[in-house]
Amino acid sequence: MKVFPYSRLRGTVSLRVDAVSVKAPEQPREQLDSRARSVTERVVALGLAETEDWETAALTVSATIPSKATEPGGPWSDVVVVAVLTDRTTNTRVTTRLVPESEGGREWRGELQVLRADLFERGVLTVQVVATVDGVPGRIIAEATDDWVVDARSDAPVREQTFDIKEVGFAKGPRWLQNFVDIPWIVNAAGRLPTVHINTDFEGMTDVLNAEGRGPEGLVNELMVSQMAADVWIAVFHSAIGELEIEDDGTPLFPYGWQGEVLREMLPDVVPDRTLEDALREVHRRRVGATGWTELQPRIQYAAMRRAGVPAALTETVRGLDKLKREDEA
Amino acid sequence: MTERPDHLPEYLARLADENAARFIGDGLLSGKDSVPAIALNQAAEPLPESPRWRLRALRDLIDDAMYIYRDDRPTQADAWLAPRLHAILRLTRAEAADSALWNYLALGVAPDFVVWRHRSESKKTVNARYFKGPYHKQAFARLWWSAELFRNGSDYEPVVVACGNQDMLNTVLRLDVIDHRPIAQALVGLLRREVVRTGREANALGKAVNTAAATLMYDAIAADVERDAGALRRWIDEAEAGISVQHRPLPAGPAEEGAPQDSVERLTDHFAELFAEAPVRGKEEGQAEAEED
Repeated sequence: MKVFPYSRLRGTVSLRVDAVSVKAPEQPREQLDSRARSVTERVVALGLAETEDWETAALTVSATIPSKATEPGGPWSDVVVVAVLTDRTTNTRVTTRLVPESEGGREWRGELQVLRADLFERGVLTVQVVATVDGVPGRIIAEATDDWVVDARSDAPVREQTFDIKEVGFAKGPRWLQNFVDIPWIVNAAGRLPTVHINTDFEGMTDVLNAEGRGPEGLVNELMVSQMAADVWIAVFHSAIGELEIEDDGTPLFPYGWQGEVLREMLPDVVPDRTLEDALREVHRRRVGATGWTELQPRIQYAAMRRAGVPAALTETVRGLDKLKREDEA
Repeated sequence: MTERPDHLPEYLARLADENAARFIGDGLLSGKDSVPAIALNQAAEPLPESPRWRLRALRDLIDDAMYIYRDDRPTQADAWLAPRLHAILRLTRAEAADSALWNYLALGVAPDFVVWRHRSESKKTVNARYFKGPYHKQAFARLWWSAELFRNGSDYEPVVVACGNQDMLNTVLRLDVIDHRPIAQALVGLLRREVVRTGREANALGKAVNTAAATLMYDAIAADVERDAGALRRWIDEAEAGISVQHRPLPAGPAEEGAPQDSVERLTDHFAELFAEAPVRGKEEGQAEAEED
């Protein structure tokens, strides 16, 4: 736990996005309907806007803070609640002050504007409670427990980002894929989202890909997709670890975006019983240090296969095959 | 010798990370080989054929920088180049977040510049991250972003000041705090007042401010004005219409309002106090030198 040299506000600070609109120059403001927001996932999907060339988005943000913050006699004065939207890929940070809904109330509300040009893909929205403490103005005394994601492109408000699948004939596809004509798929972990390129030149690939149900093709499909997913997890893990930013004192930093998410998910399985920061330091030390990287590989595979659901897919396949065999015999 | 590409298309392009890697070999990094221009352009994805993406204007600028600073330390070109690059290559921040554009600039437009500017005298090689790397490291991204984050509205003068100190570029540029404009302007203010002079001092100041920002919300103490969508759009439209930017005078940036003067002054005074208490590394050979390659 962090220790602060001043009084912090205890209790939960929560935040919601109550409404979203977009605006293009010389056009009326478009209010997005509720499908563009998910309160459970805490995501706003601006991709649902119908105004194609919208330039600014406005989010109506409300926050609930513990009533202690503004009770008389407390250690805090000049309490303000500020909504903060950041996108680290565009070095953008925009803030807006919320205003109390009622005198001394717990509910605060305001509107935050963000330019489309300032969002690469996903911004993170939070609120901070700021006050004067012991004569020092601007102290952060609390922040929202959970943040929101503002996705500039997605048309579905979901937090989890899955990998992208692209079907392409490798032989006549992009140049770098031409090296891989004889294999069924390749994972690329560089770029915005990890992508599985599926080689449609590979005989029978398209049939297996489109197969569903409990027939032989369907079983193969399920197994193959879980195997691809495992490949993605492994590739992303390695590329994220290979491109860590290192502080001057040697501490590796968690990357932003999905690479960071993948590491946070996998590290507890790769280096169990350690804090995430410790686990990351350990993995980095093993990779760049003299020894231990090779020994870590089984754990990386373990973490990847679990997440990709390989055991379940294989169990299903084996059972499905048994069933088919029995049906044949009958 | 790494030379200027023998084939330069008319317009810029994008070179995705997965395609860029294979062009960054030891021969290039040691400044011996050139980049195979035809193969590189085959792997690249063209950008729209509009005046905004014309390659020639950029290449001319880079040639000019290498000519002007031919007898100086290449680091000195940064302060000249950053604002001019920003004014010629007019991008939104979302566009500038795309590493594929920077990869193309470094490999397809001016690999000779990257070698000239970033070859380490001691190691005799270029760190590969100057060709393909994070925004605060990559040879062109770091210049563009320092101009974007240190300019005060249309005024590029603070960029010249900031880029005159290598640690502002190398260390401070990657800190989250400078995303708040009054902070960036206040840091420049301290360089101007010569409260902060050396790279190590700039480094110490940046770290101290960043640490303080964990408990202080500078936005609440020193507010900025809202971002201006119209000014940016008009600025980019000018490029689409084919405006040409002069090299000699310092250009003007997008016609955005500057950071509020009282906010900047309040933070400048505050940082001066912080800096008075900040530890400045003095004994060991610091990052300032190590990072100049």
